[in-house]
Amino acid sequence: MTQTADTPRGLNAATLTLIMIGIGFPLTFAQSVWLNTIVAGLGLLYLIALRVSWRKVSLILLIALPLAFGSWISFWFFGTVDRWHLAWMYGSRVYAYLLLGMIVTMTVSTQRWLVSLHLHFHLPNAFVFGLLGALNMADRVRHEFRRIQYSALMRGENLRLWNPLLYLRIVLVSLNWSNDLAEAMTSQGFTENAPRTELIADPMPAWQWGLAGGLIVIYCAAAFGLRPW
Amino acid sequence: MQHANSQVAQVNPVRWTIRDVIFLALIGVFFGIIYQLWSYVYYALAATPLKPYANDMTIGVWIMAGPLAGVLLRKVGASVIGELLAAAVEMMLFSSWGAADLISGFIQGIGNELGFAATGYKNWDKLGLLMSTIGATIVTFAWDWFQSGYKAYTPTMNITLLIIRFVSIGFFSGVLVYWIRQLVAKTGLLK
Repeated sequence: MTQTADTPRGLNAATLTLIMIGIGFPLTFAQSVWLNTIVAGLGLLYLIALRVSWRKVSLILLIALPLAFGSWISFWFFGTVDRWHLAWMYGSRVYAYLLLGMIVTMTVSTQRWLVSLHLHFHLPNAFVFGLLGALNMADRVRHEFRRIQYSALMRGENLRLWNPLLYLRIVLVSLNWSNDLAEAMTSQGFTENAPRTELIADPMPAWQWGLAGGLIVIYCAAAFGLRPW
Repeated sequence: MQHANSQVAQVNPVRWTIRDVIFLALIGVFFGIIYQLWSYVYYALAATPLKPYANDMTIGVWIMAGPLAGVLLRKVGASVIGELLAAAVEMMLFSSWGAADLISGFIQGIGNELGFAATGYKNWDKLGLLMSTIGATIVTFAWDWFQSGYKAYTPTMNITLLIIRFVSIGFFSGVLVYWIRQLVAKTGLLK
C-alpha cells in the first residue's frame, strides 16, 4: 500500500530542486538584469498558479527589499564600471535567487522534499530520516536554547553568541538527543543501509526531467550565448 | 552520557550513521536559531551601501557549522556534509532562500573541507583549523567575486573585505571552534 506524504501540488519536489540548483548555480555567473527579472517573474507566476498565500509571498518579498536595495546601492556607491547596470543586476539577482528558493520552500513540505530526493536522487535513508527526526524536534530545540540561556543567567553568566560555553551545551544536548533518537528509531525497526519498503509514492514523470533539463539549457544558452542586458 | 561517549569516540572516517546525521542536523537547528539572532545585525547593515562589509564581517558565523562538524566527527566530508545539513535545516525551517542556502552551504563547506584535506585529514587541531580558515576564506571570496559582484569593487575595497573576511572566519570558524572542541574534549566525550 502506498500513500502520499501530503497532497502533492504542482511539479515534483525533485524537479523543482533540480531547477532551483540548475539555474541558481549559473545565475551566479550570468550578468543579465533581464534574465534575473524573467527568472523571478516565472517563479512568481508559478507560486500564483499554485495559489500560495499571497500575504506570505508579499511579506517575504517585502522583507527582502532592504537586502536588494543594499546590493543596489552598494554598487552605486562602490562600483567601478557600468554602475547603473551592475546596481540593477545585483539588485534583481537577490529576487531571482529568492524566488528560485521559494518555488521549493513554499510549495513542498519537508517530508515530501526529502522523500523525493531519496527516490529520485538516491539520498541515503540515513539522511532522509535523520534530518526528519531532527527537524521534528525543532520546537524542543528552541525551548532548549532558551533553557540553556536562562540556566546560565541564574549562575550570573550571560551566554553571548561568541561564548564557547554556549556551544558546548549545544553540542552536549545534540549528542544526547541524537543518541536517544537514533536508538529509538533503531528499536522501531530502522536498519542502517538496509532496503526499506517505500511507503510514500512520489511519481516523477519523464516530461518533468525534460522540463527541468530544458529550462536549465535555455537559461544557460540565454545567459552565456545571448547575454541580454 | 555513556552512550554518547561511544558516538564521537568511534571514528569511522567514511561511513555515516543515522546518529551522525541526527547529531549534525540537531546542531544545524540550534545554529538556525543563532543565525536568526545574528541576522538582525546583518540585516541592519545589509540594507545600506555597507552590505559587502556586513557579508564579510558575519561570514564566519554562517560557516561555523562546517568546521565544527569536522573537528567533532573527524570524518572525510564532515565539513561539507555538516554545512549542507545546516543549510538544509535553514532552508526548510527558517528561510526562503532555498537555492542560495544550499549552494552557498556547499561552497562554504568545500572551502573548510579543502583545508582539512590539505592536512591529509590528520590534523583536526590548530593547524587543521588554520588551513580550513584559509581554505574557506579563499573559496568563499572567489565565490563572492562572482555571486555578489566583488569584482566590480575597487582593489582597495577588495583587500579590505578579504582581510575582514579572514578575521571573521578565523575567529568564529577557527578560534571559537577550537575553544569549543577543547571544552568538549575536557568532558571526555572526544577521545
